[in-house]
Amino acid sequence: MGPGMSAGAAGVPAPKLRCVGVTKQFPGRRRQPGTVALDGIDLEVAENELVCIVGASGCGKSTLLNIVGGLEEATAGTVEVDGAPVVGPGPDRGMVFQAYSLYPWKTVAENIRFGLECAGIPRGLRAERVQELLGIVGLTEFADTLPRDLSGGMRQRVAIARALAPEPDMLLLDEPFGALDAQTKQVLQDFLLTVWQRTGATILMVTHDVDEAVYLSSRVYVFSSRPGRVAEEIEVPFGAQRGPLVRRDPRFLDLRDEIQDHLRTNVR
Amino acid sequence: MTETALTSEATPSGPGTPGPVAARGRRQSPLLRLRGDLDGRTRLILGAAGVATLLVGWEVAARALAGDSILLPTIGQTLTALRELARSGELWGDLGASLRRVGIGYAVSLGLGIVIGVAMGSLASAEAWLEPVFGMVRYIPASALTPLFLLWLGIDESPKLALIVVGTVFYNILMVADVARAVPTPLINASYTLGAGRFTVLRRVILPHSWPGIIDVARINLAAAWLMLVVAELLAADQGLAFRIVRAQRFRQVDRMFALLLVFGLIGVASDLALRALKSWTSPWARA
Repeated sequence: MGPGMSAGAAGVPAPKLRCVGVTKQFPGRRRQPGTVALDGIDLEVAENELVCIVGASGCGKSTLLNIVGGLEEATAGTVEVDGAPVVGPGPDRGMVFQAYSLYPWKTVAENIRFGLECAGIPRGLRAERVQELLGIVGLTEFADTLPRDLSGGMRQRVAIARALAPEPDMLLLDEPFGALDAQTKQVLQDFLLTVWQRTGATILMVTHDVDEAVYLSSRVYVFSSRPGRVAEEIEVPFGAQRGPLVRRDPRFLDLRDEIQDHLRTNVR
Repeated sequence: MTETALTSEATPSGPGTPGPVAARGRRQSPLLRLRGDLDGRTRLILGAAGVATLLVGWEVAARALAGDSILLPTIGQTLTALRELARSGELWGDLGASLRRVGIGYAVSLGLGIVIGVAMGSLASAEAWLEPVFGMVRYIPASALTPLFLLWLGIDESPKLALIVVGTVFYNILMVADVARAVPTPLINASYTLGAGRFTVLRRVILPHSWPGIIDVARINLAAAWLMLVVAELLAADQGLAFRIVRAQRFRQVDRMFALLLVFGLIGVASDLALRALKSWTSPWARA
């Protein structure tokens, strides 16, 4: 019985990720108090859940993701994955960033292979696993291409494949489709849903695109700005099956408007 | 005026409409377009024209100044002097001595520059610790240290090597630090989240990403190494290209002096081309 097992009440499974009172204050300059980026964030993500955080720029949503990823430290509060406190980055939490995260000197296959090497996957298994991941993201023909010769959408698919390489149980996505054009974005959103269903990963995604958040997630956290706080937590009533029809569902449009209203009132 | 413009715009100008139509915008010559691109042939022609201008200017000036004592040799006289230096063997001895000094001194400088520079560009603590020191020391002209080095290290090879190291190492360190700092943060963060340790990130992410930039730094600062070599050889040496120039001056052999200057220029061009080739060979991904 690990500490994580006892944390859940009887019958209710403990969440995969639990943030309690997470606060981040950046150091100030010249005796000025530093900016408070996050103020007492409480947030939970269940096993296999896909949750989005939306908020205007400057609401600290990326900072929270970095704290969960172990890349930044919280000033106060705790972050637990499976009941264990997060103290640094690790291959159990794969991350995908908006851009500039592929190794430009490595081909697509080598980028993915690097994820396997870092995770300590035995040499003999790597080639097969690279092929499998290339297949998942549909880039088998581009195995030997350098990132500079790929489109923005393809690059993000490689970044996702690489993040999946160590078989993480959580994926943290920081505006992964934020730099893509509208058409590519929709294709990749459906691609992400497929990956999510195939791998059963727990996904926490940060975005400023309200449509994207409602389309993908089962719950949406709406952040207010300066300092970042959870302004609202919204359940999305659609099941696992999402498709183009969801975007025209009146409930989809209502939810979208509701979240957009929240964002407008919380942005100054 | 406005009325005419409106009417002429309203009338569709079909085929057979008489009168010339004013072109929109101003055409720019490709030679004078800011940030424009040139085709390879034009580029080559312009480059050759630049070299030709220098050579013609030199030859014309030399012929104009020609008197009983040579102050400016012609191209032909310079080449003859160069052949003479090569045949007597002096050139090879001097070239070897100078290349050896620059080779050893600059290798040490570059090694220190890469290790300390990458550390400064990757570790905020190393940067905070070393930046103020190097920022100050960098402004002491290395040539001003020559008398001190002669006093401390004697007049053999060591003061010359020390001068080359000191004269280039701070540029190398600070410029390599800039290159290492330019590694995108998401690249480093992504590596950590894949499970890479700090040493792996340094060796397999920061170093390969910085490599083409480091070669550029090496190429740019190599000129400073030759500068320091000349300072060292002018003061105390019995062999070397710069020493040979001083000797030639004593006997008023201006053609020899020019021949040796030409050798410096050729070495510069050769090393520049070699380092450029090394960069595109080792880091084809960084090609523009």
